[in-house]
Amino acid sequence: MTNKDFKYPPLNEHELGLLFDETQKTTLEMSEQFLERLQNQAIEAALKKPQIAIAPEERPLFDRLANVLAQARGWLPRAGLVSAMFFGVLLGFNPPEFVLDITTAFSQMERLSDLVGLSDELGFYLAHT
Amino acid sequence: MTIFDGSLENSCTDDFLETIKSHRDEELLARFSNGDRAAALALTSRLSPVVFSQAFRILNDRAEAEDVTQESLLRLWKATPKWKANKAKITTWLYRVTLNLCIDHLRKSNRNSGDVQQEVVDDTPGVECNLQNKERLQALRIALETLPDRQKRAVILRHIVGLPNPDISEIMGISIEAVESLVSRGKQALARTLAPQKKALGLEDD
Repeated sequence: MTNKDFKYPPLNEHELGLLFDETQKTTLEMSEQFLERLQNQAIEAALKKPQIAIAPEERPLFDRLANVLAQARGWLPRAGLVSAMFFGVLLGFNPPEFVLDITTAFSQMERLSDLVGLSDELGFYLAHT
Repeated sequence: MTIFDGSLENSCTDDFLETIKSHRDEELLARFSNGDRAAALALTSRLSPVVFSQAFRILNDRAEAEDVTQESLLRLWKATPKWKANKAKITTWLYRVTLNLCIDHLRKSNRNSGDVQQEVVDDTPGVECNLQNKERLQALRIALETLPDRQKRAVILRHIVGLPNPDISEIMGISIEAVESLVSRGKQALARTLAPQKKALGLEDD
């Protein structure tokens, strides 16, 4: 109790009720001009709506991801998707060295077969079988 | 409710009257979002008196209540394209928005309480609105401002707007028991806050 005025007894239920009753007496009709203004604004807003409705659909990223998950039925595909997403994010933030090597190689236009030690012959063989 | 009163009735076509009578708010909102003028008129005529009445009871000022009503409806129109049928009822959503706007207005007007304009209409014939009524209303509004936010909302919706607890529970998104508890604690706090003004507000003789 933080009330400093202990010498004043609090209002009782009846006294508080009298104060609330005052607010119940405060009723007022809306003016016709005001209603008309609101109606004009509503019509204006309603007529603008179709333009908003045909705008390209913008769905939040989370909704789109949720949709992908919803299409993967069963726990196994879902678990796979979630794991792939998790590792994707992990690799993005903290890539291990061999991933960095690969991305550097790509950025320098080197061939992946050179990087991992495969010869041109093997590349040729793979390409023609 | 004054949906069929005054100029509105004169300007209404039969189609419009049929629309306003037979459709639920949610159906009208769906038609509104497809650019239906009749639905726009019907929704405004149906919802604006409810919003205005709530705002006026809380703020006790015509101009401020009109501002809040206009703003609440504009927010509803803006929310229409994203409105989901399984969301809260339109009236519940409007009560919540209107209450938030009214609380903002109360905060501002209590800050400038020196020049608060009040407009009290007593519908009891022969009874004049006296200074004491205004003082009581003003004291109550200032005391409300001292309550914690959730208590303030619960007390306003219960004792000023006059809604039943289940409706308040839906508007505030809490259980009925929580509403009862907030209202009870809010009233106790108001009773203590207003205690020193008991005599000045003429409550000792009532």
